[in-house]
Amino acid sequence: MVEQLLLGSSLGLSLCGMAWLALAMDVHWRQLHPEQPLRPATARRLRWSGASALLVSLACCLTAEHPSMAALVWVMAATLAALLVTFTLAYRPRWLAFLAR
Amino acid sequence: MLGSFRLSMTWLHTWFGLVLGFVLMVVFFFGSLSVFDREIDRWATPSSRFEPQPMPSYDAMLAPLFAQLTPEADELAAAQARLGRPLEASLPVKNYGAYTTHRDPVLELYAEFAVDNPEDPDDHVHGHVTIDPRSGEVLPHELKLGSEFFYPMHLGLHLDWHFIGYYLVGFAALVMLVALVSGVVVHRKLWRELFTFRPGKNLQRSSLDLHNLTGVLALPFHFMFPLTGLIIFAGLHFPVTDTMYEPLARAYEQGEVRAKGLPVAPAGIPAELASVDAMVAVAKQRWRARGMPGQVGYLTVTHVGDANSYVSIFRAGSDRVTLVGQGVHFSGVSGELLHEEPPAPAAASVKDFLVGLHLQHFEHWLLRWLYVLGGLSGCVCIGTGLVFFVNKRKHQHARRGVSGARWVDALAVTAITGMLVATLAILVANRLLPAELEQRGEWEKRSFWLTWALSLSHACWRSAPVRRAELSPAWREQCWAIAGLGSAAVLLNWLTTGDHLLDTLAAGYWPVAGFDLVLLATAGIAAATARKLGKRARDPSARLASHAPAALDDAEPEAAHG
Repeated sequence: MVEQLLLGSSLGLSLCGMAWLALAMDVHWRQLHPEQPLRPATARRLRWSGASALLVSLACCLTAEHPSMAALVWVMAATLAALLVTFTLAYRPRWLAFLAR
Repeated sequence: MLGSFRLSMTWLHTWFGLVLGFVLMVVFFFGSLSVFDREIDRWATPSSRFEPQPMPSYDAMLAPLFAQLTPEADELAAAQARLGRPLEASLPVKNYGAYTTHRDPVLELYAEFAVDNPEDPDDHVHGHVTIDPRSGEVLPHELKLGSEFFYPMHLGLHLDWHFIGYYLVGFAALVMLVALVSGVVVHRKLWRELFTFRPGKNLQRSSLDLHNLTGVLALPFHFMFPLTGLIIFAGLHFPVTDTMYEPLARAYEQGEVRAKGLPVAPAGIPAELASVDAMVAVAKQRWRARGMPGQVGYLTVTHVGDANSYVSIFRAGSDRVTLVGQGVHFSGVSGELLHEEPPAPAAASVKDFLVGLHLQHFEHWLLRWLYVLGGLSGCVCIGTGLVFFVNKRKHQHARRGVSGARWVDALAVTAITGMLVATLAILVANRLLPAELEQRGEWEKRSFWLTWALSLSHACWRSAPVRRAELSPAWREQCWAIAGLGSAAVLLNWLTTGDHLLDTLAAGYWPVAGFDLVLLATAGIAAATARKLGKRARDPSARLASHAPAALDDAEPEAAHG
């Protein structure tokens, strides 16, 4: 049960992490805030949040299982998250608005 | 060559990708299906729809079943042709083996029978049966669709003659690695377009977006799987142990067996086998003592019925990636422990890890699904590569009156939608063919190949519009075929077995429920795609589904990729 929770959080964190990394890019930021240019400080903050979320996601995987398995799950979960973020940005970018503040 | 490094890489990526792309499409698709090969077996063999079972008692159940095994008729015929003379009426048995995994309700038993061949002292033929380990009942021979048809398709395309399919798949894997490296070189905006997909733009642009997206985001998967696949078959591609290093390799093998204290040859003195169940108990105790308790995955008896017989017991992989069996070997006659395999040295452990990563004997459903995601994203990457190739050239070919794009498009239809149609056709055939049909499995295979051939003819026949730079209607029509066959497979599963989705979901029987859901999702996506393509065909000027927001639409000029 604890393992499932940890893996679930790891997936969620990967999703947030990838979304923040995407939103730190001008072209995707403008999808949500067409009027408001992305300030360098905001971009930096988003990038750091993204990277930290991915790291915590790795930590969750490592706590949940054997390191060899954890590494594979983390890499593949990050792939899934990045694909989901891309398709959300393509079809329903507003869904990510809560992450772009 | 070709002016610049980037241009020569583009040439390499385009043409090798095109030629081997068709093979790679098959390998990635059937590889994705093989992740759930045992579950597909359950769907296709309704008599085996029960929970996975541990290895049953050897002494009580397996010993009499092994004793009844006889060589397969086709292997006997092949051995006779090989030797050029009739074989003895009964061949002496050499070895027994039983194999199971944490996903197998049924158990596979095999025996090796010695064939007297002066040129090859190891020559042998096999006999095998599948049993229900709950009762010991022998199940009828049926084609295991997942593990005996889809999985070998992934490995060697069913082109068994001189291993040609295996070599082709190996070469395709090498080309995949080359395509990844050259693709990264060719890609002008790898970081800037990391999360970019513009479905509202023209087909050339959006297919290139998807190609780049799936290629880059799943890059670790796309790189590791061809690589580890090549490592698994390194012995086939570099057969040095059978050629230049043969004496060394044989000496090493013998030395290894001697170091383990295992008899290399039978003594020629008949002897009874001691209790194997007692040996299994000792092996399990040894695994527990090493901190890796587990179940038996693989059990063999070597030199059956001889004073030199020995029993090897391997642990079923389940809790880690590395493929290790923690083999424990016992004397067959006295039952005493002969050898317990120590942890592998560093180089071998790296190899075990890489092989285990590919073969996935572990018990981890999330990771299994993530592997399917990786495999299917590989299919999307290769498929959109083919679509991009056609769409980049079709206007130019139409102006010049060349038909190259037309034929590549027909082949792409066959490799993408045609492969799905054929796969669904074999599932439908599996449910429709009468149970008592002679060689039922062969008919199932024929339905697969025949359907695929039909889809090729259909794709060629309908491809004329590509000459005018229009979309081939074959795409849409085969999408409808997928939608029809996918829903038919689910319906037929219900009608022929009574296991409908509400039942299997309520019972939590995921092998069948999950596969039915995947079939329905496939049918749904295919129907939606077909409708969209139909709309586009009726009104070619209409821009479809312009969801893409302004920020992404006013992007850069067309890439000079491919």
